[in-house]
Amino acid sequence: MLNTFIFIVLPYVALALLIFVTPYRYMTNRLTWSAYSTQFLERKTLFWGINPWHYGIIPVLAGHLAGIIAPGTMKSFLANRDTLVLLESVGLGLGLFALFGCLVLLPRRINSPILKRVTFASDYILLILLALQAASGVYIATFMRWGSQWYLHTAVPYLWSLAALNPRVDYMADFPLILKLHAAGAFLIVALLPFTKLVHLLFLPIGFLKDPPLLYRWRSPVVKGE
Amino acid sequence: MDVRAQLVMVFNLDKCIGCHACSISCKNIWTDRKGAEYMWWNNVETKPGIGYPKKWEDQKIFKGGWVADGRNLRLRAMGKGGTLLSMFFQPNMPKLEDYYEPFDFDYSNLYGAKEGNDQPVAEVFSQISGEKMAEIKGGPNWDDDLSGSQLYAAEDINLDDKKIIEEYGTMFMQYLPRICNHCLNPACVASCPSRAIYKRGEDGVVLVDQNVCKGWRFCTSACPYKKVYFNWNSGKAEKCIFCFPRTETGQCNACAHSCVGRIRYVGVLLYDAEKVEQALLKPDDQLVEAHRAVILDPRDESVRAAARKNGVSEQWLEAADKSPVYALVKEFGLALPLHPEFRTMPMAYYIPSLSPVLSTLDDTHELAEHGTFPALEKLRAPIGYLANLLAGGNREVVTSVLAKLIALRGYMRDKNLNQPADESILTSAGLDEAAADRLYRLFTIGGYHERNIIPPQQREEQEPHTRKGASGFGILKKPGRGK
Ligand code: SF4
Ligand code: SF4
Repeated sequence: MLNTFIFIVLPYVALALLIFVTPYRYMTNRLTWSAYSTQFLERKTLFWGINPWHYGIIPVLAGHLAGIIAPGTMKSFLANRDTLVLLESVGLGLGLFALFGCLVLLPRRINSPILKRVTFASDYILLILLALQAASGVYIATFMRWGSQWYLHTAVPYLWSLAALNPRVDYMADFPLILKLHAAGAFLIVALLPFTKLVHLLFLPIGFLKDPPLLYRWRSPVVKGE
Repeated sequence: MDVRAQLVMVFNLDKCIGCHACSISCKNIWTDRKGAEYMWWNNVETKPGIGYPKKWEDQKIFKGGWVADGRNLRLRAMGKGGTLLSMFFQPNMPKLEDYYEPFDFDYSNLYGAKEGNDQPVAEVFSQISGEKMAEIKGGPNWDDDLSGSQLYAAEDINLDDKKIIEEYGTMFMQYLPRICNHCLNPACVASCPSRAIYKRGEDGVVLVDQNVCKGWRFCTSACPYKKVYFNWNSGKAEKCIFCFPRTETGQCNACAHSCVGRIRYVGVLLYDAEKVEQALLKPDDQLVEAHRAVILDPRDESVRAAARKNGVSEQWLEAADKSPVYALVKEFGLALPLHPEFRTMPMAYYIPSLSPVLSTLDDTHELAEHGTFPALEKLRAPIGYLANLLAGGNREVVTSVLAKLIALRGYMRDKNLNQPADESILTSAGLDEAAADRLYRLFTIGGYHERNIIPPQQREEQEPHTRKGASGFGILKKPGRGK
């Protein structure tokens, strides 16, 4: 029952929301498409929270994604024991770093009166959810060692079976509860993404990297020299 | 030659009375909203002083603008890699305290207070948190009129000789109204990772696309004039829009329209977009010259032909020909760019102030012989100060402008008093009689349509089918449901 919910219902609902709500919001209301930074109002505490969080979570997330996208490469990469140990310790460190960031950001929202007007329920929900996600990740990395390896043989094929519309829950069914919660948290975050400020994740600065520094917009269709 | 048109504002600093009517009209139209309370797209500051936001001119703090390193221009703060790594925490971003915490007064307490021994007062509360404020610590013009102390003036980064303000009685001051300069090389545009800020090709107005902006905040510090603001409510950047809904219909900007001192001129300049970057590689003290070289003569046939090829309409060419801005900036060379050394090539120009006409003599001040002007170098506002503000430190540029202004006044004074007016006064300063006539009209009796020559945009010529059914300007969404 729980397995069906976490490993079949939740991921498909999350995916459907991501695929349909995101473009809908993009097309109808981009005026709320922002990272909603609060640096302008409070920056001292923010520095100690926002930097650890992002610098911790981005590489960890990239590691998870790399396993999904290129499981073969990752397998041979991790075949070397030294590499595996190194990756595991770096991953754990980064996870702790991210968790620390979350734990700085959460009380910051509560304690600063000036942030009251810019703090909404969704901010708390996201922060708590992300903190729990980071905490469960750290727990798994500590007490269920060599996760970067067994992840490739369990969660990754399961995720691919999801994509193939033939979900193989058996890959995940026997894991301890904490790991199931970690997976559920991940799906929940994906489900919330299109409704919250998390849309700022969907950002590729391609234009910024390749365009000339100055940007012109012409109202008339005549093509102008650069 | 890549000829483009630009709408430009000129400020005659001699005539600014520091009334803030400009700021208020701008606030009423554009920034009287949640999240924008602290924004003053037009602000007026007292110089010497630290301005709004505090110390905006000090690029050691905010790292705005460009630097020329050898053969290239680069943003002072960081490159593209640094930008992407600083998206979570933008190290140079000005914070609320650098502006001020916007406040209002609880007037309801005046009539709703319980009966007591004391007069009820309208208590002050923060427009952000809504909480009562114990003390107001700043405002948009906190050091207005020097704020009754030399503390603010002494912090002015343009003042080489702090001695000048040690004795309060010998101090000088002037007002400096500021808007976004709608620069030719805008640092705000270059700094935006979302590519939300752009320069309009047709009139050069620099705008933030509110649909594209994601609140990365690099523009707020990259603009060396601190004229992009972060809206804490919408989570996006906003800036002066040069009142484009007004200028597009041939009306002048709200600030210029409401200006009590009639100090502002709005008109068209034609410039060569290909020469901008080269010009900005020049050393600081040659930048005013470089600015002028980029601006083209609207009466030159080859310039007009190249402009037409780029889609500049006849109406715009005519406006460029009559432009008061061209006369003041290039033809007679009176108006100077504000801090050209920030290298954004600002398109707002300032005629330096001549008043007060008291001159300095050793430690004291003496009034010059009645009706005449003191020698240039004895003017109370030090040349060096004006040069730091308006000429990248080049004193000759400022001296020559002041000489022209003095000559103009002397010549017109003679004329007004029916004394024989000596044209050589003018010629020695680089002007002539026709110039004196034009400038005299512009400075004094010239009316609205002389001070502002703004060609309307020919919207009907530009893809009318895409505009049909759109609702208003700005965010062009069709009303009702559907696409
Ligand atoms: S003044 Fe600042 S905001 Fe305005 S165009 Fe120049 S760099 Fe951009
Ligand atoms: S309205 Fe005109 S005179 Fe008054 S402060 Fe503004 S620029 Fe100066």
